Amino acid sequence: MHFAPNEDQAAFLAVLEQMTQGPEAAWTTSPDWSRYDYSERLDEMLANNGFFECAREPTLGLAAAAAMTYKLACSPALVECAASSMLRASFAPDLPRPVAVIDAGPDQVVPFLPRAAAVIRLDGDAITVARLGPDDVETVESLFAYPMGRLRAGAAPGWEVVPGSVDEARSVWRVAIAAELAGCLKGGLDAVVKHVSERQQFGRPLGAFQAIQHRLAQAAVKIEAAYWLTLRAAQRRGKQDSTLAVGYVQEASSRIVLDLHQFMGAMGLTLEHPLHRWTYRARLLRSQLGGPAANLRDYYASKWSDA
Amino acid sequence: MDFEWTEQDTVFRARVRAFLDRELPAGWADISRHGPGSREQTEFSLEFCPRLAAEGLLVPHWPSRWGGADRPTWEHFILGEEMWAAGEPRGAQYMNVNWIGPTLMRFGSPEQKQRYIPPMAAGKAIWCQGFSEPNAGSDLARLRTRAVRDGDDYVINGQKIWTSYAAMAQHCFLLARTGDAASGKAGIAIFLVEMDTPGIEVRSIPSLIGHGDIHETFFTDVRVQASARLGEEGQAWSIIGYSLANERTGIPRYEMAARVLDEMVHELRRRGRGEDAIVQARAGSVAARCEAARMLVYRTVDMRSRGEAVDAEASLARVATADADQAVTEFGMEFLSDTFNGDAYPAFLAHHERAIVTGIAAGATEIQLGLISRRWLGLPNGVA
Repeated sequence: MHFAPNEDQAAFLAVLEQMTQGPEAAWTTSPDWSRYDYSERLDEMLANNGFFECAREPTLGLAAAAAMTYKLACSPALVECAASSMLRASFAPDLPRPVAVIDAGPDQVVPFLPRAAAVIRLDGDAITVARLGPDDVETVESLFAYPMGRLRAGAAPGWEVVPGSVDEARSVWRVAIAAELAGCLKGGLDAVVKHVSERQQFGRPLGAFQAIQHRLAQAAVKIEAAYWLTLRAAQRRGKQDSTLAVGYVQEASSRIVLDLHQFMGAMGLTLEHPLHRWTYRARLLRSQLGGPAANLRDYYASKWSDA
Repeated sequence: MDFEWTEQDTVFRARVRAFLDRELPAGWADISRHGPGSREQTEFSLEFCPRLAAEGLLVPHWPSRWGGADRPTWEHFILGEEMWAAGEPRGAQYMNVNWIGPTLMRFGSPEQKQRYIPPMAAGKAIWCQGFSEPNAGSDLARLRTRAVRDGDDYVINGQKIWTSYAAMAQHCFLLARTGDAASGKAGIAIFLVEMDTPGIEVRSIPSLIGHGDIHETFFTDVRVQASARLGEEGQAWSIIGYSLANERTGIPRYEMAARVLDEMVHELRRRGRGEDAIVQARAGSVAARCEAARMLVYRTVDMRSRGEAVDAEASLARVATADADQAVTEFGMEFLSDTFNGDAYPAFLAHHERAIVTGIAAGATEIQLGLISRRWLGLPNGVA
């Protein structure tokens, strides 16, 4: 068992780290106070350097894609990564991106669809994909920090079935959701830790009060555990590990999101601070694939009933 | 990154399980039920550990010079998982294996090593740990038990509390103050004390956590030779730091917790509650918390196996482990409360008695959260 990345993974993650430190990934307010800030520039840099294909490299693998998804989700800027680097790379590498994923029926409102060049469906007996035309999608106004949309009624993109097990694809998608959610929570935690380290009340930093320290430390425990459960699930690509990873982080997320907003105080309620960029992604991701109870029931079935 | 066991690890685990299957008696669950500090389990460990030693499974990770086989860190850990999950048939002797032995190898005098290490490697030594006092628990540096130099001896006076295994122990790894009352960490020394030395009195404390598991230990004019001191006066804190680095990860409690949860789910299924959606979601949640603890613990083992210093990572693991242990016993009490009546389900009872200690013993959860705040998150020193 090795938790440390191999040489190629370490180099990959080091370059990624540099890219996420650049201005392309940094917080900027949107002129129209949009709930999200899609970074075309970061997307292009990652795409041009082959980052979204990492899962197809034997020495990098799906674990590297999960680590990338986590890392990018830590940034306040938005890039579509989870579906592209994990599902698309594993099952439909020729699809254009960004990619949106429909896993619960054709009317589902899903992230990224208004910007997506292609869609992957996992709600049937097979993996189906389609390239999207300009009239296939309608944008939906949303609280969530994503461009949200649904397929327009009557839209008829050219669906095609791609090879591969839909069960395995669902497992990969669960891992992708888990990685993105864990990264959103980590991004929010880092922002709140910075805030409570600087903001002084009663003559000392807020972060010196145990009432705050212990809750942030508990959040850190859960986020770190979620990260490793997710990477293990990425390596195994099975139902049991993926339901467990996504169910765990979804269940943990509600308390963490509550605490992050609590400790950011009124500033976290404004659009002038990026906290909402993480927490309103997290709130949507918590609900995905049926939410924590459904995923943990699926884990139960996989471990105790299916055999 | 690779989260699978090597073939060598798998073979080793199978070997340990086969040994346990073969060597644990039919009534083992009833013995284990009494707790690791009980007379029943301690007496059993004195038969069992020599057999483990003969099989090369007591101290395989120790240097061959001291009876080990220089085996890798992961094997030591797999051994710990299997033993704890089986109810810890080594009793108190797991402490020798994990940290007392390695600490003596590093800091002991030649005489101390010769005297104490071979019996540990043979599975015949029972030690207790004289750390906590009535007024020095989490704040251990305030301990007041005094050791006063008197010629070639020290005379020890004071009181320890919560001393696991004290009633059955042959030796005590004792912390005592050699400096003045205000000397803090710098005024403490370690003594290796024979428990039959005149002036030592042990009283069992009736408790929720197993028979004879915790004690008060009184030291009244206990005279020991200066050669019983481990290291120098004032060196205790750095020696304990080394000991803890060997054992920061603690007991692999999530393994027993996960196995007990598995038994609880099977019991619920036998009772026809396996299709209950609430049972399913809750069991999944509790299992996830066990696996969360497992991954955080494995990460610290991986760091140790690569020679990296483990710092706040160990605290993350301990907080998650306490959460997992509590979650399993609460699950059982919610859905299978009748199994905690009588003694028909000894594994649930044994786990419960161990689980309620987890957030308190060996560094309370609040201490761990403070460490995480400062050393993982970089927050300022805390105030109440």
